[in-house]
Parts: sequence; structure tokens; C-alpha cells
Amino acid sequence: MSEFELNRRGLIGAGVLGAAMVGLASCDNKGTLAPGVSKADFAGAIKAMRGVVGDEWVYGDADAVTPWKKNDIPDPEGRHVPVGAVAPKTVEEVQEIVRIANKFKQPIWPVSTGKNMGYGMATPATPGQIVLDLKRMNRILEVDPQLGTCLLEPGVTYQQLKDYLDENNIPLWIDVPTVGPIASPVGNTLDRGVGYTPYGEHFMFQCGMEVVLPDGQLMRTGMGSIEGSTAWQAFKWGYGPYVDGLFTQSNFGIVTKMGMWLMPRPPVYKPFMIRHDNMADVPKIIEAMRPLRVSNLVANCNLMMSASYQLAMFKRRNEIVPDGRPLDDDSVKKAAKANGLGMWNTYFALYGTEDTVAAIEPIIRAQLTASGGEVMTSAEMEGNPWFHHHQTLMQGGLNLDEIGLLRWRGAGGGLAWFAPVAAAKGVEAEQQTKLARQILDKHGFDYTAAYAIGWRDLHHIIALLYDKSDPEQEKKADACYRELVTSFGKKGWASYRTGVNSMELVAQQYGQVNRDFNKLLKNAIDPNGVIAPGKSGII
Amino acid sequence: MRIWAGAIAGLGLASSAFAAQKLGEYQAQRAPEQVYAKVCGYCHGRNIGPILFGRNLPTDMVKAVARQGRNGMPAFRPTEVTNAELDALATWISKTPAKAEEHGK
Repeated sequence: MSEFELNRRGLIGAGVLGAAMVGLASCDNKGTLAPGVSKADFAGAIKAMRGVVGDEWVYGDADAVTPWKKNDIPDPEGRHVPVGAVAPKTVEEVQEIVRIANKFKQPIWPVSTGKNMGYGMATPATPGQIVLDLKRMNRILEVDPQLGTCLLEPGVTYQQLKDYLDENNIPLWIDVPTVGPIASPVGNTLDRGVGYTPYGEHFMFQCGMEVVLPDGQLMRTGMGSIEGSTAWQAFKWGYGPYVDGLFTQSNFGIVTKMGMWLMPRPPVYKPFMIRHDNMADVPKIIEAMRPLRVSNLVANCNLMMSASYQLAMFKRRNEIVPDGRPLDDDSVKKAAKANGLGMWNTYFALYGTEDTVAAIEPIIRAQLTASGGEVMTSAEMEGNPWFHHHQTLMQGGLNLDEIGLLRWRGAGGGLAWFAPVAAAKGVEAEQQTKLARQILDKHGFDYTAAYAIGWRDLHHIIALLYDKSDPEQEKKADACYRELVTSFGKKGWASYRTGVNSMELVAQQYGQVNRDFNKLLKNAIDPNGVIAPGKSGII
Repeated sequence: MRIWAGAIAGLGLASSAFAAQKLGEYQAQRAPEQVYAKVCGYCHGRNIGPILFGRNLPTDMVKAVARQGRNGMPAFRPTEVTNAELDALATWISKTPAKAEEHGK
């Protein structure tokens, strides 16, 4: 230990070296197998998968599967632990693995890059699953600079796509989620994630899929099944029922290719930050922003960030209040002011030509100034790390700044996103903020939250930050999360997306008829239930 | 591999000097500088994760932390950073001196 300096934040520490020395030795699987799967079934499936992808890319024991187990959500009972992992490189290998899964009734949990941070990363919703890790399928298959489209495999990261565009001087933007460098455009779109540019509602800008169905057949959606069609990535709807949505947030197939639209880089990009001084300003901001969004004068998904969320990115909680004290508004306000932040900080940008931006800017300035906001641009905010963060994201730039959130409460790295939806009305947001703060306060957690203001909706994005290295805090975080889901649900506010820890709970809120319909589809499409049981509460 | 990685590090080439991924092709093995710039370096040395350079960190430790994650740090699987890439990366990180432009607290 004395040979190297232990990092003072404890991110690297004792125990790790010991684990390294033990290595990834082979041992019997000690995880819980899926219902109805015997040890012999599991062993048979692992052996058969080795025959498809080679020994190197199958991980069938408790140690070898360690890199797929890492999780940041509360999981006090250890339910979300995979028993294996398999990593195919081709569509044909995926098809073979699906056939093997059916033969042995062994469930598989597909992930693209497995970086769904705060939602479960690569871990499955139910015990006993083998992670189907698609990261090795990392080819950028097509980019059409004229149409602004691309066709990707699931293992491509936003970083890879951006590098390709930059290196080939193709003037198209990507639209990233917060962990862009390590996350997958396919995976994020399938989870219906949201970004920061005018193409921020990711599923809206998806166009065409290739899907391995649970019986091993390969299907293309939209125009993709028409021989000779050049419009697979150009025309979304195809003919007959539009089925692409069935493969998002679901377990009806494994998406092995996806088309996406990419935004042409505009001649002018001008980011803004609107500072409001009081927590109580929530309804004023929403009411001011909505007409700008509905009219599309402001075209990007804007983020209305609470000061506490912003501070949690780059500060630690005990820099704002002493450990054990509640995070009071006065302390937050003081820290926010010292860092050039308001209590709410709303980020959006104008995209266009010099003329169009110049024409729109006075309209938005008047509207937002009337709401009590201070309108800031790079002229005033240059060098501010928070402004820089959003300035980067709103033009499809890459960073991992928000991983800093995981250090807010000690080094333990616990994060669970709670993301209820509401209509974009000030009064709804005001009520949601009030309810969230009540529940978080009761359990001893902070309101580190933002609103993503969509075209007509709000995604209230609440980061439940806790210290996962403290088992008691993990239990409390679990209880708090469940109360958030349940209490919001009673008011008609349900999540747009949720982590593997709460998929069943949220599915209950969407009603029995909806659940039965999903179940009917599942039984018909995947009678052995081998694709991702538990995804969105569908078994 | 280790000799090759060391030679690259010695030349101090920027990541952009490496061959880019071509359309329709799988990502080729990346040099340590590339992996660091495109993955690790977004957090380490940028106030999010601890500084790694200039500490002679044991290579086994670097590899174990990368594979398991640590506290807030996600785990990186062999499908994301291959074993060969990680071997070279760990050696390179261990030998690379501290850089003035990196910061952490």
C-alpha cells in the first residue's frame, strides 16, 4: 500500500489490489439461476454459446462476469446480478445465441454498450440472466451526408460516431445523452433517451431497424424489407402497422442495426442560460418557456437545472453544508451565487443563420426577462464550467462531467434517476417539485433535479444521489425511490423510463389492460420468454 | 504490444494521428493514448476522477479498477476495452509522468 499514494477521495483503495491478485479465475457459478433453468441447462447454454462466439467471449462464472455486475442503482437484495455474459460480433451469431437461449430456456439480457448509468447499466431486471453484450458489434455501416442519416450497429458509441464525422469532415451533428462518450446511440434511442439539440427526442429521429426476433428470424422495419429500397433511413413508416416502437423499452426482439437522422451543423449556434433566483420561480419559467417550445422558436430540448443539481456535478455536498445537515436553500443559494449560478438555470440555444438568430433573440429575451430571468450568453458566462458543460452538450459535444454527481455524498457512487412526466404547465411543475422535496427530505436525500422541457411535456429528472458503499443508505435510497414512484403515480405522474430496480413497479402504474396487452404480445412473439424478462415489467 | 505502446508513448503522438474507423469496419485495436483520450480522460484529470499519471500505479491495480469499476466509476468490460488494449493502457498509465494540464482535487 505504501508503494503508491492512495487517492484522498478513496476512489481507488484497498481491496482492489487483492481482487486483482485473485484474478478472474474460473469457478462454479454461484448466482441465482432463472426460474425453471437447471444447472445443466445453464451449463448447456454456456457451452453452446462458446461454440458460437469462442471461449474468449463467453463469461460463465461468478468472477468472470464481474465487469457486467457493476451497478449504481439501489439493489439491497442483490436481485440485479447477471449469471453470465456472451458477446457476439455478428448478426448471425446473435441469431444462433437466440436459438440456444430457446433450446435451454435460458434468458438473455441484451445491452448495447451497457452504460445506462442510474438506470442499471448492464444489469438485468430479474435474476438468472446472461447478458447479451452487443458492444463488439461496433460498425458504422452508412453515413449519408446529403440526407443526414446513418445506420449503426448497437455497439457504436457516440464518441465513435462523432470521431467518424469529424475525421471525414462531414458537417452533421450527433445528439448526446450525458454519458455520450461511452454510451450507444442505438441503446439510448431504444430506451427512449433524451438529449440537448433540436434532435434531442431520440426516438423521434430514429428511422429503420433490423431486429433479431425471439425465434431467430431477422426482420427489417420500415422500408428495410423492400429489396433495392434506398429509403430505409429516409422514410420512417413503411407500410401497414408501424412496429418500430414495439422494440423500444421492450423485450420483443434484439435490435442489431438502427437508422438515425443527424442534424446538419447550422451556420450559427448561440447558447443561452437563463438565471432565476428563487426555488419558487418554477412555474414562471415553465410558463415562459412553453410558448417558445410549442412554437419551436426554441427548438432544442432545454434543461432547467436546479442549483443543487448543478453544484453536485462539480462540488461535494460537504463543501455546501456540513455532513449530517439538511441541504437548505440559503446554503445552496450562497454557493450558487459564488459560482455564477441562479437557483434555476435554464439552458437552450438558437440554431440558424445570423439573420434568423438575430430575429428570434429579441423575442426570447423579452419573454424570459419578463419572467424575472437574467438572460446570459457566452459573452457573460465564458469560462464558467457549468455554462461550458451545457454549451458543449447543446451542440452534440461530448463530456462525462455529470459522472461527478456520483461523488456528491461520499465516494460510494449511488445514483438512481427518477423521471416522471407531466404536461408542460407551470402549476404541474410546481406541485411536482413540492412533492419530490417532501419525499426526499423525509428520507434524508437532496432535491438534485432538473426539468427537461420538451415540445409539450416535462421530464422531471431527479437524481437520487446516495452512498452505495453504506448498506443502510442503500436501503433508505431504495425505500425513497419506491415512495417517489408510488406517490407521484397517485397524482397521475408516471416515469417515462426507469431503472431495472423499478420496472415492475412502474409497469403496474400503467394499468392492467396495458400490461395484459404487452403480455399477449410477449407470449405470441417469445413463447419461451427468453428475451430480457422483466424489461418494462414484461415477463 | 507493450514495446509498441511504449514507443508510441515516447513519440507523444496525438490521438488524431491514429487511423480512424472506416465505414463498415470494426473498430481496430486502439493505442493507450486513444483509449485514455476517448474514455478515461473525460473524468481522470478533469476533477471527476483521480489523477492517474505520475503515480507509478501498479498495472494490476489499474486493470482491476477498470474491469470492476470503483465507487462512482463504471466498470469497463473486455468488449469495450479489450484485454490487449487494457494491458497496454495499464503499462502506459503506470509509466506516464504527471501532466500539468490535468487537475483534480
